[in-house]
Parts: sequence; C-alpha cells; structure tokens
Amino acid sequence: MAKQKGAAASVQPVGVKSGRFQKLKREFKRDRQLWIVSILALAFMIVFYLLPMLGNYMAFIMAFIDYKVRKGFFGSEFVGLKYFKQFFSLPDVWLVIRNTLVMGGLNITIGFVASIILALMLNELRFKTMKRVLQTVSYLPHFVSWVVVASLAMSLFSTDGIVNEVLINMGLLEEPVNIVTKGDTYWIFITALNIWKTMGWSSIIYMSAMAGIDQELYQAGAVDGLGRWGMVWHITIPGISSTIIMLFILGVGGIINGGFEQHLLLGSATTREFYETIDTYVYRYGLEMGQYSFGTAVGLFKVLIAVVLLVITNWISRLFSDTAVF
Amino acid sequence: MFQWRLTSVLFYIKKTKAGTVFDIFNVILSVVFFFLFFYPFWNQLILSLNEGTDAVRGGIYWWPREFIWSNYEYVVTVAGFGRSVIVSLLRVVIGTVTNLAACGILGYVLAQKSFKGKKFMRLITVLTMCIPMGLIPTYILYNELNLLDTFTVYWLPGLISGWNVLMITSYIENQPDALMESARLDGAGELTIFARIIFPISVPVFAALAVITGVNHWNSWFDVMVYNASGDYDTLQMTLRRLLMKSEIAKDLMSSNVNEAFKMLTTTTIRAATTMVVTIPIAIIYPFFQWYFVGGISLGAVKG
Repeated sequence: MAKQKGAAASVQPVGVKSGRFQKLKREFKRDRQLWIVSILALAFMIVFYLLPMLGNYMAFIMAFIDYKVRKGFFGSEFVGLKYFKQFFSLPDVWLVIRNTLVMGGLNITIGFVASIILALMLNELRFKTMKRVLQTVSYLPHFVSWVVVASLAMSLFSTDGIVNEVLINMGLLEEPVNIVTKGDTYWIFITALNIWKTMGWSSIIYMSAMAGIDQELYQAGAVDGLGRWGMVWHITIPGISSTIIMLFILGVGGIINGGFEQHLLLGSATTREFYETIDTYVYRYGLEMGQYSFGTAVGLFKVLIAVVLLVITNWISRLFSDTAVF
Repeated sequence: MFQWRLTSVLFYIKKTKAGTVFDIFNVILSVVFFFLFFYPFWNQLILSLNEGTDAVRGGIYWWPREFIWSNYEYVVTVAGFGRSVIVSLLRVVIGTVTNLAACGILGYVLAQKSFKGKKFMRLITVLTMCIPMGLIPTYILYNELNLLDTFTVYWLPGLISGWNVLMITSYIENQPDALMESARLDGAGELTIFARIIFPISVPVFAALAVITGVNHWNSWFDVMVYNASGDYDTLQMTLRRLLMKSEIAKDLMSSNVNEAFKMLTTTTIRAATTMVVTIPIAIIYPFFQWYFVGGISLGAVKG
C-alpha cells in the first residue's frame, strides 16, 4: 500500500536513509492521518472509559474518599474503608444481597433454560411460515425499552387489568389483586417479565449453533432408528452443548445482576423488601441521596463479586469439560 | 439460509406416532408462545383506541368497544409532548450520525493492514467493551466535564462504541485493498478515501448499525433521568415514564379547563396511547432487523 514514496526512497544510497529508524519514520509519515485519528480516539476512550473504570476498580480513588460535588475530585477528604464498613453495618444489607442473588439466580437458571427450549421448539417446527412469524414476534420485546414493558405489565396485571379479569371469570380468584404491587409474588412476576423480554433474542445464538450441526448426524440417526424426540435428545442438544456451557459461564456473573431498570419502574413501597437490589441501592443512596462515595464502594463490591464468580465458574467448567472462556 | 437446511432434516425422519405427538405438542406450544409475545402489545393497542371510562368496565379482549382517537389527541396536546418528541428525534439523529461517523473513521483506520498502531488500538477498543463502568464514577466524570443537564450528554459519551467499530472494521477488511491503494496512488487523503470510496461500498453495514444505534437512542431513558434530571431535555420515553409513575393526569382530566372530549379518558387508556406512540416507530423499522441484523449475526455465528 502507498509505495510511491517508499520506492523513491529506496533509490537513495544505502546507509544514508534506509536504517530501521528511517523506515519507521517513513511509515509514520505515510500513515500520519491514521495516527491522528488513532490518537484522538485513544484520548476519547481514555476519558470516557478509562477514567470511570479507574474510579470503579482502583477504589483507593473513589470509594475511599468523601466525594463532594462542590469540592470536586481533588478537594475531597480521604476516609479509607469507612464506606465498606458502613455498607455492611446497615440493617437492610442482607436483604439487598438476598434479593440480588435470588432474582439474578432465577434469571440465569429459568431464564437460561427458557431460551434454549424456545430455540429447540423453533428448530423442530415443521411449518416454515409459523416458525418465521414466531421468531419475528419473539424478538420484538428485546427492541422495546423497559419503560414500555413496565407500561404493558401495569396494564395487564393491575387491579383492573385483563389478567385479574380472566382469573376472576375462571373462578381462580375471589377479588382483584394488584400483582404489580404484591410483595410475595414480586420475584416470580419480575422473572416472568425478564424472560419475556430476553428469551426470543437469546434464542438466536442457539438457533445458529443448531444450524451448524452436521446434517450427516441426523441421517445417521435416522438410519439407527431415532425418532423426533431421540434426534433432539441425542443429536441437537449434544450439538449445542458447548454453546450452552459457554453462555452459562458468561452468564454466571449475571447472578449479581438482580435487575435495575425494571425495579426502578415497577417497584413500589410495598414491594421494596423484595425488589431492592445492589444496583437500585447504589442508585438510591449514591445518586438520589448524593452519597457518591458510599455508592461507589457498594458498586465496587458488586463488580468484585462478578469477577470472582466468572473466574470460579470458568475454573469448574475447565475441570469437568473441555469448554472454557479463558 | 439456515432455515432451508433445518427443514431438510425432516426428510430423514419416518412418520411415527410419537413423532406426530411431538409435532402437535410443538405447534400448540408455539401458538401459546406467539400469544404471549403478541397479546400484550395488542392489548395496549385496543385499550389506546377505546374510551377510558368504558375500558374500566373490563371485557375488552380482542377489539375496542367504544372506538375513539381522543387518547392520542390528549397525548399529543399534553404539556411538553412536542418538545420531548423533538428531543427524542434529535437524539436519535445526532446520536446515530455522530456515532457512525466516529466509528466509521476509526473502523476504517483499524482496517488498514499496514498500519502499525492497528493492534494496540484494536485491543483498546475491545477493552472498552469489557469494562463494566460504575454508575457513580461515570456520573462524577460527567459532572467534572460539565456534561450534566446538556443535550451533549446524549451523544458525546457514546461517540465510539466498540461493537460498531469492530463490525465496520471487519466489513472493510473484506473489501478489495486495490480500491484504497489506487486512490492513494492518485494522491487522495485518508478521509477522502473513506468518504468517497469506502463508505459507499459499506452502506449495508452502516445501515444495519444505524438502525441498531438509533433504536438504542430511542429506547434509552435511564441516562435521561440521571444525567438530565432538570427535565429540560426529556425524551419521549421519559414522558411515558412520568405517566407510569404519577397519577396527576387523573387530576388534570377532572379539571374544568380541558377539552370536553378528554373527560371520558382515564390514566390507563392514555398510558396505553403513549406506549403505542413510543412503540410504533420501532415496529415500523422492525423489518430492517430481519434483513440486516438477525441474518447477519446468525451468519457470523455459523461461520464462527
């Protein structure tokens, strides 16, 4: 590429301008516009990605000082481990951790299995039009915001919503219940919404893994007398097992993501005991109440757990199977 | 593409009783799933087209009973609606265009095979995708940069997104080098080559990324709430959220100075109309996902 200058230079006497340094210099001159773009992009990424990351990981900076907006970053006072201690001495800390783990756990188990089941089902559908329509509709929830999902849920599940109406008509309920603000079913309610929103989209990756299975295996299976269930159980599922394991490892860290936007939108005073997760907690205390440093300390605690979980699952998976992310 | 291959599997299988049971079970399950995915949106649509006081009586399952447009009329006339539509549209347009311009140029640079800084810049780009950024450190950074309560906060921090850069890079890498080389021999600068030669042949990838980036901008509400707490730059999603959170429309409807037609509306039907206003643009550009994105990532995963 762009050898015209290089060709001109190589005509010159050896030893004067053909050293390694000269070559680098020539390349740099040739690529100077590319370098300018790279440096600008690098500066941008340092500011908008590296700085918040430093703030997050190297907690010596953020979580260990008493940050005040008016004083700015360097005017704030150093307080050490104070905020970590404060977090663990609060009465609702175990509640927050419990909610986070329960809802995160439901997502990575039930939610995880649901998208595999949907993919298997789509894969086995004989009617092509039906398959395409179902695929199309199942992706739609992924492309609408949580605000829209929350609005749909409020319409369907509130006291005068259609779910209550149908349940009462069927005689399953005596009087209308506002499912959105009901505490003891909140985990199930939110998990159902999570699954509804994500399962279609996450099934895509299994669909493409299934498309990659060698067709001769199915022929061989047919020769050996496998039926429909047998094909699914002995060929399709083993065929996508490495994808499943890989996604599970990547997903395990998600147990610490008990949800955030959905709780801010759908949570209420009556369900607070069940919805408050680490993320909403960081938001509430850190931003709404302005306790920046405390919020950062709690957020950092969460990131650390996520990293540890990822490493442990990866290690276990490498022990028991060949699949590992790193 | 892979759909044909999947259906071809079925030729190997002889018909058995268990197989038929399997098929029937599968079809029933699909219909149930279809209903679960589709009905919530349909329910909102018919509620938004129904009279509010009539909707309270219940029994509206498949079709509006008292058909009216007033819910939409109310939503359009409500204070701040016009502004939030403009902010939303500006956000989508400016956010998408600036993002794709920046990612396009960086993606082009990273696709140059002889460029020495390529490896390092790619590593950094991938790293930006892996870093979980804390909410509060980010907030503090924006505060220090005076980005809070500005429109800039919508497009500037997301100017370079690693995923878009990598998609563009891999697309450009698959184009013939001769195109760029001959332009360089003619003395064209890098920006000219990008704008005049590479961009026109990379329109498919840019179109696909534009749709995805645009939808993300359209859907985001949390950054609006946090970084533009003043409400001066509320987007449509925030207007909908306000309707979800507050019951003040009920009071507004009761007051005497509103249009007579609006007295028959309720919070539920107005919320439904707002939800549809937010969702319909997504539904309109939805076919593009099918063409570009879903096919694209499936192919990528198969090639793997």
